[in-house]
Amino acid sequence: MPAAAPSTDLKIGTSHPEAEHLMQHSSIFDVTIDFSRSHLIFPTMMAILLCILGLAILATRWRGIAASLRSDGHWPSGIDQPRFFGTLVLILVYFLAMPVVGGLFPNRGFGFLLCSAPFMFALSVLYMHGRDTRKLGIAFLSALIATTLIWYLMASVFNLTLP
Amino acid sequence: MELLAHISPMFVLLVFVGTLIGIIFGAIPGMTATMAVAVCLPLTYSLGLQEGLALLLGLYVGGISGGLVPAILLNIPGTPASIATTFDGHPMNQRGEGEIALKLGIFASLFGGIFSLVALYFFAPALADFAIKFSYVEKFLIIFFALTIMGALCSNMLVGVFSGVLGVLVSLVGAYSTDKGGNGEYRLMFEFMEPYLSSGFSLLPVLIGVFGLSSILIEAEEGVPATASTTGTATARQKKFRLTIFRGQGVNLFRSAFIGTFVGLLPGVGGSAASIMSYSQAKAFSKDPQSYGKGNPAGIIASEASNNGLTGGALIPLLSLGIPGDATTAILIGAFTLQGVQVGPLFISGNTDVWNMIIVAMLLANIFMFAMMYFAIRHIARIVTVPKYILLPIILVMCVVGSYTINYGIMFDVWTLFLFGLFGYLAHRIGLEIAPFIIGFILGPSAEIYFVKSLESFGTLTIFFTKSWIAGVLWLLIALSIAMSVWMAGSAGRAARDPK
Repeated sequence: MPAAAPSTDLKIGTSHPEAEHLMQHSSIFDVTIDFSRSHLIFPTMMAILLCILGLAILATRWRGIAASLRSDGHWPSGIDQPRFFGTLVLILVYFLAMPVVGGLFPNRGFGFLLCSAPFMFALSVLYMHGRDTRKLGIAFLSALIATTLIWYLMASVFNLTLP
Repeated sequence: MELLAHISPMFVLLVFVGTLIGIIFGAIPGMTATMAVAVCLPLTYSLGLQEGLALLLGLYVGGISGGLVPAILLNIPGTPASIATTFDGHPMNQRGEGEIALKLGIFASLFGGIFSLVALYFFAPALADFAIKFSYVEKFLIIFFALTIMGALCSNMLVGVFSGVLGVLVSLVGAYSTDKGGNGEYRLMFEFMEPYLSSGFSLLPVLIGVFGLSSILIEAEEGVPATASTTGTATARQKKFRLTIFRGQGVNLFRSAFIGTFVGLLPGVGGSAASIMSYSQAKAFSKDPQSYGKGNPAGIIASEASNNGLTGGALIPLLSLGIPGDATTAILIGAFTLQGVQVGPLFISGNTDVWNMIIVAMLLANIFMFAMMYFAIRHIARIVTVPKYILLPIILVMCVVGSYTINYGIMFDVWTLFLFGLFGYLAHRIGLEIAPFIIGFILGPSAEIYFVKSLESFGTLTIFFTKSWIAGVLWLLIALSIAMSVWMAGSAGRAARDPK
């Protein structure tokens, strides 16, 4: 599919600004659509509307926004940083590793199976309060059983593609 | 009997399983009916449309209903739709009436669900028959009205409309589809993205990211609080429930179920608004408003009848106009899309079997919900104690499976999940409204086609006002929704300045 190219066959007003290239007016309400550029009409309208709404929100709520910017409790202070950022890092590693491992055993879903179990266990440990052997054991078993069950159901029973 | 012609044991089993899983999701604070439907959607990939809908509708009804369990036992609404249940449910539990409160809520939920189902059965086909007459002009105005009404009913109209318009803009990323009469040109993206985004962002990874992954990030941000204990509450022996508690509550039941069904009709408003509105009305009409918030059974009846009333109500605009009534029904659009079925005015007349199945599935889901919750409430009450360090990783992996398998194995969809999970989290942080965003995202491409094609056909902007009397009525409704929002903002401002 070709990328958007500037129109060269506008019927009226080729010297007008960009917005007027999209909808060509012969009177205040009459509009002629240039089909080759019709893909830009609605996105342009929505972008303009979004800017207007954004400015209106700023104008009506600027006191609250300014006060929150001045306050000391900026993100990420006040959040559980190890759990939040730990989650993001684990997800990134999981997503990056899955296709690589899956590439070693094509079309069998082993990338999912071999990466999901350690990921689930690591995430469980990260979210655990008061870690002890019993809880770690439960988390380990849960990761192993849940991953294997999901893999079996999706890949074998439902014949769905897994990484 | 036509309704019962296509029921199979598998269909009944799927409704049962869906309802059970939905109740479990609803009973766990932080997990919602929307999340349940989003996470379980991949299970329907290999099912037919009717079986898939059986599972999803069970999840929907169960998810909404299960929210009353933690609302009463822990004072934490399991789903946003149970918010008002906490006001009187938890005080009842504290004075040893937890079981009464739970069973009261279950009865009210059943009534609300059946009431809205009757409304769905009679109202949706009539609305669809009427909507068949709509041209692109009226269809565009319907979407415009949906965006203004959901903005009007958000806590801040500007933010609600902003979120909806943002959803529309994001939905336009990709090619202007030639299938729908567009020119096939790309927009709102860089050239290197063309192989991935030719059809824009896939709906389901976006939904799963915004409702599933973002919820997990929010939980992680809050440190994944250890689940509270219910020891000494409804799991212990308590006062017995008797049906006489409903004496004098008939009007409250009908009014609340009606409010829930009506709110369900309005796009993007959601169960929490239905629950609060019904509760406020019950309190306003009560002879003893002071007792509300201190354990008045009428408060639970109002909240639960209305939030289950939402379930059938939200399906009315979905099945007759193609416009989802709430976030969960927005995900159901994904299920229809997966099966190549387009919901809209022609859906019911063209898919009579599926329509009948939807009605049967909703009826069964309500009956199963009632039976499971009424007779197994002591066991269900224990669900709230399942540790989240076990649940959240399973849910996250299900989110990944759902996103990856939707387009038969594209890793880009998993990254879409991540991107929109982060967006959902960010939206939560800065106060953007997610429901309008999602409904804008779903309706955006249709809105574009209807708008541009109307102008191509008629060549004048005035057509949006002069096409028919329906257009005039729709503009009137749009103006009313904006006026209502301005009035509500004014009332809220006056209330904030003068609390007395």
